[in-house]
Amino acid sequence: MNLFTLAFRNLRRRKVRTLLTIAGVAIAVSVLFSLLAFNAGYEQELTKEVDNLGIHLLAVPKGCPYEAASMIIHGGVIPKYLNESDLSSIRNIPGVAIATPILMHQFLLNGTPHIVYGIESSDMLKLRPYWHAEGRFFSDTEKNVMVIGRGLAEKENLKVGQILNFGPKKEPFEIVGILDRTGGQEDEFHLVSLSETQRVFGKEHKVNAVAVFLDDITQISDHSDEIEKIPEVQVVTMTQVTGTIMNLVGSARILLFSLIAVAVVISACGISNTLLMSVYERTRELGMFKAIGASSTDIGIMILTETIVITTLGGIAGVGGALVGAGLIEQFIRGAIPYAPAGSLIAFDPEVALICIGFSVILGVICGLYPAYRSSRLSPIEAIRSEAV
Amino acid sequence: MNLLEVQNLTKIYRRGSEEIHALKGVSLTARAGEFISIVGPSGSGKTALMNLIGSLDTPDGGTILIDGKEISGLPERERVSLRRHTIGFVFQQFFLIPTMTARENIMLPLIFSRQKIDEAWIEQILAMVGLTERAGHKPHELSGGEMQRVAIGRALVNRPEIILADEPTGNLDSATAEQIYVIFEELTRQGITLIVVTHNPDLARRSHRIVTICDGIIHDESSTGTDDS
Repeated sequence: MNLFTLAFRNLRRRKVRTLLTIAGVAIAVSVLFSLLAFNAGYEQELTKEVDNLGIHLLAVPKGCPYEAASMIIHGGVIPKYLNESDLSSIRNIPGVAIATPILMHQFLLNGTPHIVYGIESSDMLKLRPYWHAEGRFFSDTEKNVMVIGRGLAEKENLKVGQILNFGPKKEPFEIVGILDRTGGQEDEFHLVSLSETQRVFGKEHKVNAVAVFLDDITQISDHSDEIEKIPEVQVVTMTQVTGTIMNLVGSARILLFSLIAVAVVISACGISNTLLMSVYERTRELGMFKAIGASSTDIGIMILTETIVITTLGGIAGVGGALVGAGLIEQFIRGAIPYAPAGSLIAFDPEVALICIGFSVILGVICGLYPAYRSSRLSPIEAIRSEAV
Repeated sequence: MNLLEVQNLTKIYRRGSEEIHALKGVSLTARAGEFISIVGPSGSGKTALMNLIGSLDTPDGGTILIDGKEISGLPERERVSLRRHTIGFVFQQFFLIPTMTARENIMLPLIFSRQKIDEAWIEQILAMVGLTERAGHKPHELSGGEMQRVAIGRALVNRPEIILADEPTGNLDSATAEQIYVIFEELTRQGITLIVVTHNPDLARRSHRIVTICDGIIHDESSTGTDDS
């Protein structure tokens, strides 16, 4: 037996109160850990998603360029179009290595909305060399064929070789390939050649955006200026997309940080209150400890140990709880922020977990200092004589 | 030679502007193995005297010598050391730790004095206070007399020279109190000096000397004739 086991034993004497205090700390740490993990996870996933596009910039119709870019990344229908002549103009700008058009369209299949991603596969596969498919890809001129995303195939139980009635006229389209899972939105898309998408949905010579890959990324500013000289065309770089989205979620992050601050303050008050009550209730006992040889330091260490035990256990429970409830937390965050990448938003980093547990220990030391000081200053006679039991 | 020498001890408590003279020049001596009862009405200064001898409090005047060493002016660290090694306390209200067994409660002072646990010594104490069979029980499973015997065991564990007991039988019936008297008598036979504050005339009669305090002054001091040393 030593001072530490004595502190442990004391915590066990008031199990419910100790557990409630631990739960208070755990909630605060859980929120803190979730936000830090979200912070890292969100940026990581967004960057991954933007990097996966394999492009340096997007040429989109004038309007809100970020909305257009976000739609292209996330999947959606942009009710504005560029003409194929704009595509030719972009392709003719020196320094543009690849300029490939994208046309997205939403349609209903068996009553549920689906998205078709009209592309020129020859260029798109150069931009996204990591795209692999079970079966094969289509050529730019091939008719009545499509590749579908793995997520869509699994959800709809679709197989290579299957015929799908596609478009407003329910034209038979053969699934020639299933795209291996990328973790991006294309996992849920129908990939069809641009010309076929335009034909089937009556969008001849129209595209939503042109994805551009440059010979030299350092010249991105000059090339952007060149492209923007084309009437009705705006450029958005991928860095801008990432930055804008991060700014959009910034306000949500500030709100979440405020929540954490409140949770931490409440938790700290709870811990101090619990310990002060415990010291008050044990005044006579602490007096007896002094009478049988405990020094002021011994009493202080004992009380401080109790706090550190509470906050350490709370920290571990908080991190554990956040990991177990990551799905729910992610769902909540997705609802609270304007744009969320498709991948996991909560990135578990052992270092962050240790930081959170360390934070709760420091919180414990801070909260325990005053109760420890008060208890150590108790006069043994006054403590023994006190009315507190 | 006297183990304890208290000379002209004064203690004043202040409550606001009011001064309460708890002790007004008390002198007392005790030999090793002597059993002294301190009696007197409530508020006469008995407990104040015990607290000063036990170095739980500091006097306003006078001296306290234990083994010839003045203790009243000692710094806190040395007073703590004195309470760890020289003096044992027994309180009226036991103050046992409810989550600990009788054995663990007895060992409690060793935590503070950082001494190794001598299992043979613990067994000896348990036997001395008649709790060998009850060593694994927690306080709520023990009777009042058993709890006080645990408290006596706890006071003994650091092998003190002096045991100070404040109303040790105050919460016990007479049959249970008798068990405590027997243990006290045995302790004095082993050379431990016992100073007991009591309202219990039976216990006082079993001691070697009865010191009566009234209004902070020793009013009477008489031998009971039980000291055969």
